[in-house]
Formats: sequence, structure tokens, C-alpha cells
Amino acid sequence: MAKAKASQAAAESAAGQAGAIDGIPQPKLDWAGRSNQWGTRVKPNAYGLRLGDLNVGIYGEIPDQWQDQTRNPRGAIPRKGVPPLGFAIRDKSDLWAESSGDLYEEAIQRRWAPATDIPWNTLKPLNEGLERAICQVSTELCQYANCDVETITSWQHQMAYGYHEVKQFLATASFDAARQFEAFRKRALSNGGGLGLEGPGQVNRMILESRGGWTEAVTYLFLMRGTFTMTMLRYLERYAHNDAERALYRYTLQDKARQMTYGLEHLQYSIAHQDDMALIMQQLLFIGDRVWAREMKDHVLMEALCVVFAGGISDAGTTGYAIYRQMMGDFMNSYVDTCEWLGVKRQPEMMPNSMTQYLKVN
Amino acid sequence: MASVFPSEDWFNEVRSVFNSDDSYRGAGGGSCECRSAMKIGRRVFLLNFEGIECAPVVEADKGALADVDFYLDMPLADWQAMVKDIAANGGASLHYTLNTLDLDRAEGLSHSVHEDQFREDLFFRYNQTFQFFFDASARIKTSFG
Repeated sequence: MAKAKASQAAAESAAGQAGAIDGIPQPKLDWAGRSNQWGTRVKPNAYGLRLGDLNVGIYGEIPDQWQDQTRNPRGAIPRKGVPPLGFAIRDKSDLWAESSGDLYEEAIQRRWAPATDIPWNTLKPLNEGLERAICQVSTELCQYANCDVETITSWQHQMAYGYHEVKQFLATASFDAARQFEAFRKRALSNGGGLGLEGPGQVNRMILESRGGWTEAVTYLFLMRGTFTMTMLRYLERYAHNDAERALYRYTLQDKARQMTYGLEHLQYSIAHQDDMALIMQQLLFIGDRVWAREMKDHVLMEALCVVFAGGISDAGTTGYAIYRQMMGDFMNSYVDTCEWLGVKRQPEMMPNSMTQYLKVN
Repeated sequence: MASVFPSEDWFNEVRSVFNSDDSYRGAGGGSCECRSAMKIGRRVFLLNFEGIECAPVVEADKGALADVDFYLDMPLADWQAMVKDIAANGGASLHYTLNTLDLDRAEGLSHSVHEDQFREDLFFRYNQTFQFFFDASARIKTSFG
């Protein structure tokens, strides 16, 4: 009935305009009456009009597999003859997390701008060893951010448009990472120092080169690297030396926590909907742990963190190293606990000694 | 007249400051959907955020902890030290941010009854909102009974 009324309105509108100006083609408006579901009127609620609120009627039907190979928005009428775009990720279990729409809104609403929201004027000259260490950590955090952007965008375009909530959220996640790059580059170049030494990048390469699917990339990018970055940001906030750094670490931590929510919820969904996924993740982490352990043998980041935590070089080997070990203990406990919570078994004998040694710290 | 910490009046006075200042909605703050509790010694205060505002704060019994996403738990003396630090510095100093207090305590600051990691992680996702809330207490007069 709604469809018929819309068609009638379109026809009347066309008739009213016919021949209005000589030489102007008469509009057909034959598209105007076409909609799979017309008359939709979603109202804003106390929180405004959110992406997830639009999931009403057919617009909220999110199938387990999305067959359409075009950019047709979910709920629109497909146009015949559009060449397929070859989206590789068309199964819901390969990308879905129920909270994606809400996380997208959260990322938009809780945005911050490094240019103006960080009190850069609170930066004061630090002892040279400390400034060099902070700049080194900032350099590596820039690299982590670059890896996030590249990884997310390299998978995002392969995802079918039927799951636009995930694609929208991941757009904010890559923007978050771009902001992380910007913010830490600014920190390195704003207090008399400069960028330091490039990190080894072995874990970055592992994340970027994971080819088994987005879920595999999520395992490495969020569960493994994300847990580590979050832990490191928490300790950096704890041992910040001025308000600018404190804000910088805390705001970035919030962004990372939001990404972790997507990542863990997706892994949980994937495990619940795909046979053997927990076992597959166990195998992936078995491989990933070894790459991780190899990268952690590089002393640069560890030493820089020890200097930051100690407030200078003189106590880095004692106070700083003790705090570093505590941080690694928190990371390892959180990493293993999260795996177990997801249902991915992580016996210590499955992991390198260089990782399990920290399980005993805290 | 100073409000006594902890009390419903104290929390609601802070809440008025928080809700009426737009600056708390930017710079890492903003929309927040979270049900939390502050466990101050044996007393429990429910702190719920809906959108960009904090709802009226009420005191509850310990059983209410089962319904919140997470709760922050410290002895009364430690809470008082935090509030005094915020008042003295206009905001939490480096040793009294919520993240620092969580890291520095053997049992942590943030807890949950349900152990649902998604709900526990709201402490980190909305950390700045909670920090803004407590930092707003620097703008009211506080007494400690």
C-alpha cells in the first residue's frame, strides 16, 4: 500500500512539472516510487539519532551471509547488472561484533584533537636521558599506529556493505590510529628532542601479513598487540612527567579500549559461530607468541621504558626495571586471562619462557 | 556551606558542576553509557552516566554492586586523600588519577561482581569522564565530617 501511494505521488509530481520549460527533458521520476520499505520514520531519543537506532524493519535485517557483491546499502533495491566488486568477507562470523554501531557513535562523540586538547604548554624541559627515552617510546607508538592504519584499511575494503556498522566503526579505528600517530609525533618534536630509532617491526609485519582472514588479524592486532599497548599506555600515564603527557596517554588509552571492545567481541562472536575457531586462535597465538618473544629481545623499547619509569637514566636499571617487570606482568596476566575468558586455552608450556617469566611477577 | 564527603549531597553537588560545564564533554569526554558504583569504605554510591550527563547519585546497599558495570573500591581514608589532592591541585595530581590509583593498589581500584570483561573495560573506555567528574569536585567546598 505504501509503495502504491509513493508511486502515485511521484506520478502526480511528474505530471505537474511536465513541459514547464521548453528544451528541458521531462523528468521520468520512475525511481521515486521504488523502495523496499517506505514510510520509515525513526525518531531521535534521549541520546540523539544513532546508527543502531536505524535498524528497524528490513533495514535491521543482518543476515549470516551477505550475498550482494556491490556497494548497495543494506535495505536499498539492488540495480541489475552491476559488476561484482569481489568482497572477500561476506560471512557475518568473519567480522561481526554486536556493539559496532554503538562503538562508532562513541568514537565520533568522544573525539579529541591533539592540536588543541593536549595542554602542550605544560611541557617543560626534562633531563636529556628522560627526553630521549620519551621520544623513543613515542617513535615506537607512531609505528604501532601506522601498523594499525595499514592493517585495518587493508581488510576494511574487503568487507561486504551488508555489515556497514563494522565498516563504519573500523573507519573510526583507523582515524584513531592516525590521531595516535599525530599525537606521539607531536610529543617527540615539541620538547627539545626528536624522533628516535625505528623499532624492529617484527610483530607489525606479522600483523600486517596475516592472511588467514580478518579474524586472524584481529587476534594479533587487538588481542595481542592491543593488550600490550593498553598496558603500556596505563603505565606511561602513571609515570607521566607533566599534564600534557598524562592527557595524551589517557585519551589514547580510551581509544584503544574502544578498539579492544570491538576486537574481543568479534573474537567471541567468531568463536561462537565457527567450528574450531578457539582451537585455530590457539594455534595462531602459538605462532604469534614466538614472533612476539623475538621482538621483545630487542632492548631498545625496554630500556626506554625503564628510563621513563625511573625519571632518568641513573635509576633505570633498578627502579625503572622493577616497574617494567611489573608492567610486563600486568600485560601477560591480562593477555592470558583474556584468552581464557574467550575460551582459548593458554597453558604456560605453550608459550616461550621469555613471556611466561612475567606471569609470576604480579 | 561545605558538603560532607562522602554523602549523596556531596556527589550531587559535584554532579551539578559536571553536568553544567560543557568543557567536560570535549577533550576525551562526551557521551557515556555506564552504570558504576563508588564503594567508600562500607558505603556505596551509585554513579550512572546517561549520554552526556550524570544521573542523580543515590546511596545504596552492597547488593547493588551486582548490577553495575564496575565499581571503584577504596578505604575511606584513601578516598579522602584523593579528594583532598584534587581540591589542592584543581584536579588530580599525577599520583591520584584513577588510572594511577588502580595500578598502585595490589587489588586494583576497579572491580566487578560479574567478571564480564566488556563491562569491566568501561572503566578504561570512559576513564576521562570519571576523571572529569572527580576533578569537578575541586570546584565545591568539601568537609570530611
